[in-house]
Amino acid sequence: MNTTTDDYFNAFTMDPWWPIVFAKVLGLFILLVLIVLITIWAERRVVGRMQMRIGPNRVGPLGLLQSLMDGVKLAFKEEIFPTAADKFVYILAPILATIPAFLAWAVIPLGPMVWMFGYQTPLQLTDFPVSVLYIVAIASIGIYGIVLAGWSSGSTYALLGGLRSSAQMISYEVAMGLSFVAVFLYAGSASTSQIVAAQEKTWYIILLLPSFLIYVTAMVGETNRAPFDLPEAEGELVGGFHTEYSTLKFAVFFLAEYINLVTVSALATTLFLGGWRAPYPISLWAGANEGWWPLVWFLGKLCGFIFVFIWLRGTLPRLRYDQFMKFGWKFLMPVSLVWILIVGFARAMRNDYNWDLRQTVIVIAVPIIAILIVMYIIESIRERRADAAVAEEEEARTEFDPMAGGFPVPPMPGQSYTPTRRSKATVGVTALPVSTDAEIEEA
Amino acid sequence: MNAAIPILTLGGLAAFFALLSIITASIVGPRRYNRAKLDAYECGIEPTPQPIGGGKFPVKYYLTAMLFIVFDIEIVFLYPWAVSFDQLGMFGFIEMVSFIVTLLAVYAYVWRRGGLEWD
Amino acid sequence: MTGLATVMLSVIDTGEQITFWICGSLALIGALGMVLSRKAVHSALWIAMTMINLACLYMAQGALFLGMVQIIVYTGAVMMLFLFVLMLVGVDSSDSVVETIRGQRLAAGLAGLAFALMLIAVISRVTLGDVGTQGADAVYGGNLQGLAALIFGKYLLAFEVTSALLITAAIGAMILAHRERIEPKKEQKDLSKERFLSGEHPGSLPPPGVYARHNAVDTPALLPDGTLAENSVPASLRARGAIRTVDRALGDEVQQLAAGDGSLEGEDLR
Repeated sequence: MNTTTDDYFNAFTMDPWWPIVFAKVLGLFILLVLIVLITIWAERRVVGRMQMRIGPNRVGPLGLLQSLMDGVKLAFKEEIFPTAADKFVYILAPILATIPAFLAWAVIPLGPMVWMFGYQTPLQLTDFPVSVLYIVAIASIGIYGIVLAGWSSGSTYALLGGLRSSAQMISYEVAMGLSFVAVFLYAGSASTSQIVAAQEKTWYIILLLPSFLIYVTAMVGETNRAPFDLPEAEGELVGGFHTEYSTLKFAVFFLAEYINLVTVSALATTLFLGGWRAPYPISLWAGANEGWWPLVWFLGKLCGFIFVFIWLRGTLPRLRYDQFMKFGWKFLMPVSLVWILIVGFARAMRNDYNWDLRQTVIVIAVPIIAILIVMYIIESIRERRADAAVAEEEEARTEFDPMAGGFPVPPMPGQSYTPTRRSKATVGVTALPVSTDAEIEEA
Repeated sequence: MNAAIPILTLGGLAAFFALLSIITASIVGPRRYNRAKLDAYECGIEPTPQPIGGGKFPVKYYLTAMLFIVFDIEIVFLYPWAVSFDQLGMFGFIEMVSFIVTLLAVYAYVWRRGGLEWD
Repeated sequence: MTGLATVMLSVIDTGEQITFWICGSLALIGALGMVLSRKAVHSALWIAMTMINLACLYMAQGALFLGMVQIIVYTGAVMMLFLFVLMLVGVDSSDSVVETIRGQRLAAGLAGLAFALMLIAVISRVTLGDVGTQGADAVYGGNLQGLAALIFGKYLLAFEVTSALLITAAIGAMILAHRERIEPKKEQKDLSKERFLSGEHPGSLPPPGVYARHNAVDTPALLPDGTLAENSVPASLRARGAIRTVDRALGDEVQQLAAGDGSLEGEDLR
């Protein structure tokens, strides 16, 4: 892969495979597995507290080893291949879900340059000019695992779960993809490390708050988490796409799901919360953004996001599917498109005409508020009219004249069809007299 | 060193881990045959027979996927535009406005026709 | 051909060569698998593999953005559209291999051969000048920047016309796949009204019977007077005739149990 002339990306090509790349890969792998084990434990404990109970506290100190023990238990369960399953795809699906989950982390910046085994190297596995797009691409491969698991199980619930989750993921991917645009626009780059570098002065959560909110909503939808966990709606679909999976195949799906949760949180941190940069009061200390310290800030921000995920699960009920799709397509998408236009306008005005922030805000806000008011008025008038139309229609419903338009038409749903004389005659002919048993016996 | 090498190493490790788990589980786990256990799970009743030659496809999903492709392509155009926004200047902005507004028109059409409704 | 090969060998480094041979052959295997597999979903998987390998090839040549877009749009969106349609085709159904048009295979083989010959003829005449994207990237300061400068500069018209293409796609999908709603959508309020006005039991139905030895939805519950609660078994099971008939299979025992006869306790009723 050819990198650009940019010196920064050359730093990654300097790393020798042994020991630097190897150590980074192994470290990242262990870090991810650990984070997942702790997240599962934390989720059960925190949700437990939120529901006024204690949660798992038996295995290990504070129950910390609970998720590891669950994994071990799953390994000793019986492996089941459903009769109707497509065996090859059935085995392939969990692998296809796991690999992309890990791969997405290759470009997440965990820290600045550090010393490692006598080499100076960035605390990031690799980076290139389009690394945010790399994460999106990898995530879109990860959807295959879910879809194929649903299909290959040969079970109705799994199939419906797989269909639902892929429809859900692609719907929210639109909003997610749009929320990146404003960040790229301000950072002038689509590489994770350069986006972090561009946030040296101000984090993008302050500059681009709407983008952040859209991203956070979309990331909950992308990871199939509550309140958007419709693919696994227990009351409707049992377990969704992994209904038919047992043993470590199920555990591997679980792992991938939680890594995806951590990945989207890490991406949110990188794009909007300054990545590994220290938060405000600590950043006054000169050494805060050097050496290994940034890893602490990064993991801290990550834990914050994970807590929000758990909090959401403990608080909000599941959405109805049509409401969920409506929210993604009719709210998140137009809002992000309009927001991109606003950001672009403000930026272009600042670049070409030296407008200051106040001027831009006034020029943008006044027409938008005016449009919103006009839309509100139009909408309320239309609603009143629609109500009247519905009432009128209900009155008109009972009567239906098939010949009203000059030629016969079938009735619309809700209209009752008064049969004409001719159709009555046809009915009479087809309904042959049926002789009862008694009559036959008599004969 | 090539930028692909670390990614390949990580992918290899992940693949090894996934395969190892699946193989271990199949060796370690018990095996007790029971025909009912291998049926598709439907809360205890006999599984619904799958329709021969495939069931009916809810065409709604097709529409969603098609709209997704349309807007995905739009987003793909937005990325290079956003990255070199400062170089493209006001003209670039106006170009993108005309592109987005055209697509917003078709978005409004689909909305109005009820293409975004879900039952 | 040899001329081309030498030109290519001279401009690409070994890393790129290795990538080419691995990804190229994987892409070819994927393409063959797509054609040869009987199940539609397997075909879709193979073609996804081909697409991903093509993306790797683009990236190996420095077209990073194009490679990513190839995965995002083709593997992520277009193949997902195919999968949506194919998934509803059951697991165990596969294509029939009966020829519907006579001489189809022969014609297809000839056409393929002709196409291959044409490709070889064209490609062998190609003279390669500046290969790779490094030069262009250096001028604009990066792959993305270079692409942006071209799309929004030189190819402005093509870019704007793309929006017309996308409109066509969206409207086409609407016309083909959208069913116009002819009556207003039922909201929760309407559904609830309907349920109560129908005069049927508005709440949840009684749960199935549990006789301390068989716990399944196919066993009807008994009402306090000993009669069967018909609606405690799902309608689909009733229609399929899969009801475990309490009174016939278990006969008098259940009736006795229902009547409160304690003498049966502890006895194996099967």
